[in-house]
Amino acid sequence: MRLHPVLGLTLPPLLLLSACAGSTDATSSTPVSAGPTSSAAEPSATYAPFTADDCGFEVSVDSAPERIVTIKSSATEMVLALGAGDRIVGTAFSDGPVPQEWAAAADGLTELSDKVPSAEVVLATEPDLVYAGWESNLTAEGAGDRSTLSGLGVATFVSPAACKEPGYQPEQMTFEEVFAQIEQMGDLLGVPEAAQELVAAQRAELESITADGRGATALWYSSGDDVPYVGAGIGTPQMIMDAVGLTNIAGSVEDTWTPFSWEQVAQDDPDVIVLVDASWNSAADKKVRLASNPATANLTAVVNERYLVVPFAATEAGVRNVSAASDLVAQLAELDLG
Amino acid sequence: MTSTLRRDAPVAVGPGRRGVAVPLLAASAVLLASMTVAVSVGPAGIAPADVWASVAHHLTGLLGAGTGTAPLGPLLDGVVWELRLPRVLTAAAVGAGLALCGAVMQSLTRNPLADPYLLGLSAGASLGAVSVIVLGISLLLPVAAFVGAFLAMAAALGLAGSLGTLTPGRTVLAGLAVAQLCAAATSFVIFWSATGDSYRDILAWLMGSLAGAGWADVAIAVTAVAVLGTGLVGSARTLDAFAFGDAAATALGIDVPRTRWVLLTAVALLTGGLVAVSGSIGFVGLIVPHAVRLVVGAPHRRLLPLSALVGAIFLVWADTAARALFEPRELPVGIVTAFVGAPVFAALLWQRRTASAEL
Amino acid sequence: MSLHLDRLRWTVGGRVVVDEVDCTPPEGGLTGVLGPNGAGKSSLLRLVAGVLAADSGRAVLAGTDLLGLSRRDRARRVAFVEQESLSPAGLSVRQAVLLGRTPHTSRWGSTSARDEELAEQALLDAGALELADRELATLSGGERQRVHLARALAQEPELLLLDEPTNHLDVRAQLDTLDVVGRLTARGVTVVAALHDLNLAASACDHLVLLAQGQVVAAGSVHEVLRPELIDAVYGVRSLVLEHPETGRPVLTFTPPSRGRRSAVRAEHPAGR
Repeated sequence: MRLHPVLGLTLPPLLLLSACAGSTDATSSTPVSAGPTSSAAEPSATYAPFTADDCGFEVSVDSAPERIVTIKSSATEMVLALGAGDRIVGTAFSDGPVPQEWAAAADGLTELSDKVPSAEVVLATEPDLVYAGWESNLTAEGAGDRSTLSGLGVATFVSPAACKEPGYQPEQMTFEEVFAQIEQMGDLLGVPEAAQELVAAQRAELESITADGRGATALWYSSGDDVPYVGAGIGTPQMIMDAVGLTNIAGSVEDTWTPFSWEQVAQDDPDVIVLVDASWNSAADKKVRLASNPATANLTAVVNERYLVVPFAATEAGVRNVSAASDLVAQLAELDLG
Repeated sequence: MTSTLRRDAPVAVGPGRRGVAVPLLAASAVLLASMTVAVSVGPAGIAPADVWASVAHHLTGLLGAGTGTAPLGPLLDGVVWELRLPRVLTAAAVGAGLALCGAVMQSLTRNPLADPYLLGLSAGASLGAVSVIVLGISLLLPVAAFVGAFLAMAAALGLAGSLGTLTPGRTVLAGLAVAQLCAAATSFVIFWSATGDSYRDILAWLMGSLAGAGWADVAIAVTAVAVLGTGLVGSARTLDAFAFGDAAATALGIDVPRTRWVLLTAVALLTGGLVAVSGSIGFVGLIVPHAVRLVVGAPHRRLLPLSALVGAIFLVWADTAARALFEPRELPVGIVTAFVGAPVFAALLWQRRTASAEL
Repeated sequence: MSLHLDRLRWTVGGRVVVDEVDCTPPEGGLTGVLGPNGAGKSSLLRLVAGVLAADSGRAVLAGTDLLGLSRRDRARRVAFVEQESLSPAGLSVRQAVLLGRTPHTSRWGSTSARDEELAEQALLDAGALELADRELATLSGGERQRVHLARALAQEPELLLLDEPTNHLDVRAQLDTLDVVGRLTARGVTVVAALHDLNLAASACDHLVLLAQGQVVAAGSVHEVLRPELIDAVYGVRSLVLEHPETGRPVLTFTPPSRGRRSAVRAEHPAGR
């Protein structure tokens, strides 16, 4: 039996890469909760050796990393938010400009690549830590296989929220989970106090958010035209929607994001639609598509233009989620749900 | 049939002219029934009776006799009329076209493993489609896919033709070369420029998917099948003459090279149009002609129209399964056709191991 | 129908395969085309059938140049049976024979009752009627040959061209085939067959054409052409021509060249090794 020629060549790599689809980052234009001051935080004089089981890989770091390579905006911004931006020797695969509060710190950063950098490029910067936002960034075809890098004395760390394997993927993403990861990062970088400050500030902002009490249903529309790709029940979108007070119509699907069906959307007819705004797939484009597709044009939310917009950045677990939630609550409050 | 010949044993009369009508009618009835069932299946729990009432309401409205209120609210009505019905119709047209092209390709190249994508068509269309997806201008997808298919066909036929007369062997090999080239280019485009979101669209397209098929797609697919398909079905007798080889066909009065060019171009255009609408759905063009041939034999007067009908039925059911098996998630229909088609193909090969065919 | 081949010429890749062949197979008889491998027998038949395009020359049948006709018109007059024919699956014998009616039926129409009658008749003539509903792919070599012959007969040809029709057949089948051909010629059909078996040609043909390297070396009756000196010149074998006691036709027997030499050597050394 003849293997489909195109698939035979493209399917294996596609499967590898698409396994990590859904976790990207970009900038937020909304104000971020107060974090550490713009002055760089110094690592503690005494660094507590760090060990962790990170996505199934043993990470062990004895001294504070001084030369950090970050891949994906979620990683870059985490390091910047913890005040360790001066230790970044290279960034890659950015999902958009860095938010205002850290723009100054981000100014001098070297961009290694606009996509996943090759291992050689990463090693040329002589890093001691490679911090990746997606699991798939750290493969031999990408920035380097984790054991190989470890053998060369380079520590690697993947955002725990991005782990895909069962047992490592969080069963249900919560803000506590996010805060724990911030604190873990603080330990790894040797700035536990900065992490605690940041978490405290974010927690305060979170607590000040009053969830919308009208019990609106929502669709978290991330991408996809013929087949919509939407936020599902166990990931960051669900976490944010819970804080905002929205009921996710795809909440029963046990996944972080999931392909869905317009027919199901039509049956559920959500009160509002949350549009993810990315530079390659903007909220404005989504609005046009929804209105012009005869299958979706009659949805209540489309007819009444009940849209909430969230920047792509906040769809991944990280330092932007809280501010995104509070911004969405504000947007929702202005909508008349009829 | 009158005959003055003496026969020792009663010889069964060949099917002749009468044998075409009955199977065609039966297959058409099955297709109609399949489409009716398919339209009433879906995650939005609409009662079948309401579905058909809604369709009937639209149809009478189109014919100008529309009165009364629609049986369903605008949302659910939209589900039936804008989502399900165009999709089922597109599935039927695409299935018919692919099976028909497959049958013609197998006869033209005298290769039982031939399928409509032989000339590198699907690889070329994939290249066009993937490029557009990656560039973010998905609106141009059908155009890009068709142009890609057409260019691939031109390259393949040009390559095969430049080697001398257009023989089946050369056609197959030229098509393979073009397909590999396009596949490599497609992979390059994907790796160079694709972002996380477009991977899903690309994968769905490469596997073949009928999701999002709208009335424009119905128009394209049905027109292509009606116009080009009729021409192909009409070439039945000519294709029969190809059965014994090019020399025998020439001796029977067929202009072999010209016929081959014309038919290959027609197949390419039709396949290109279908691929533009649905991506490269596999196995329909490969399996259905074999299955039909097993039942009604090789003569093309029955093989071609029946392949079209059976192909339509097969794809309607495959797409229904793709939609319904894992509600509310959808599989690309190409996965279903592959899962069904591969074992069937293996069974066909096994069954033919004892036949003295040139496999 | 009278056939006259007028200086047919065909070259391929710079090599002359059929070189100004000029001969007149008699009307209503079986003409055998003989010659060693590569002499151009097959190519000559294919030129007349229109399967190959001649560089120059004509093939005139009953006053009409076949090579000037459209393919379809030519196919109505001339039928051609190849040495090896593909046997596609899913085709019954009856359907295969019906294909012979292709030149006579319209492109878009289907076969008529008359077509089916003629097919039946052709099957009967070729001695293959009992195979009518069998699958073509399940037949033996000899049976398939008969079916292909029937298909050619269904074309209602004025000229029948056969390329080595007895190649894979046993003795009985060979004679049966020639018998069918004989009945055809009795009806006035001109048959030209390329044959490799000289004795078979001797026993059945009315007229012979001997080719070597694309050229006609001799043409005439079986007695005129099957002469030892001609056979030696063309095939490079020594032969003895005997006369069949019943039919009077030539019967050939051949002397392998090496044994002749070896016996000459032994004669010189009677003691042997």
